[in-house]
Amino acid sequence: MAFYLYSIEHSALSTWLRESPSLLVFPTILIFHTLGMAFLAGTNAAIDLRILGVASQMRISPMAKFFPLMWSGFWVNAVSGVALLTAYPTKALTNPVFYLKLSCIALGVVMTQIIRNQIFRDPDVDNRSVPTKWKILAATSLVLWTGAIVAGRLLPHTYRHFMTDSY
Amino acid sequence: MDAFGAWLESTRVSGFMQHVVFAWPICACLHFIGFCLLIGTGGLFDLRLLGVAKGLLPSAMHRLIPWGVGGFIINLSTGVLFFIGQPFRYLHNPAFQLKLALISVLGINMVVFYAGAYGKLAELGPDDGTPFRAKFAGATSLILWIGVICAGRMVAFFLP
Repeated sequence: MAFYLYSIEHSALSTWLRESPSLLVFPTILIFHTLGMAFLAGTNAAIDLRILGVASQMRISPMAKFFPLMWSGFWVNAVSGVALLTAYPTKALTNPVFYLKLSCIALGVVMTQIIRNQIFRDPDVDNRSVPTKWKILAATSLVLWTGAIVAGRLLPHTYRHFMTDSY
Repeated sequence: MDAFGAWLESTRVSGFMQHVVFAWPICACLHFIGFCLLIGTGGLFDLRLLGVAKGLLPSAMHRLIPWGVGGFIINLSTGVLFFIGQPFRYLHNPAFQLKLALISVLGINMVVFYAGAYGKLAELGPDDGTPFRAKFAGATSLILWIGVICAGRMVAFFLP
């Protein structure tokens, strides 16, 4: 794997992303990644909290109007995440915590889809009490997105190799 | 200011933040969870004030706000710990100063909102638009919270 990491690291794109002194390159990508996370995880949290009984007078179905905001956050983060990975591939790909983060995100996305299909597409969603099964889905989603944030935040504190030359 | 920073740095709390291995990262995790809660509750409420997601009853949706306040309290507490931990990372840092200034304006915006437009929200139905004052407060809040996150992220790039 080291050969591939070395090739990415020494590509013009990776070098530019990592070494450009402009605040519009690395710092701005990091800002987008942070804002995307806030809207992705934040919207998920609001929907999960509502299903778990917070603000129970508020109808659930109109919250679907926030799904585009949430998916925008997801795609901003997919793109900015690939850019950050291109800048420091070794740092992420040699750290088990990075794979934990990706797993939490993948499972979180699956959980969000299940919540949309089972809860938001239920025609009686706002006329029935929330069943325990829905609450389990919401709680699981909350745990997964929290896990993604925590794992991501721990990356700068847990990496083993910064770049291939530190192997 | 510098004497105050030096004193802070000599305290036990500062030593804890600097030397206990996972103290700083755990606070950082909580700080990130805190602003996700803020955006997820306050930010979505701001969007409802702006007319997105009509169908949500504003007065009912406002019950999400205590969770945003909880997020803010988490962030204030962890933020104070960061400041005590490494005062000179923040004291003369323009990004941090901007962040504090934006939070102050948010405080003013909130006082104005709760003293005025908030009183009318209880009368609104789920599909009603909000008065201009409420929209203005919502837009200001959303833009400034995004600004706070940006400024916070920039702290590491403006170290004195």
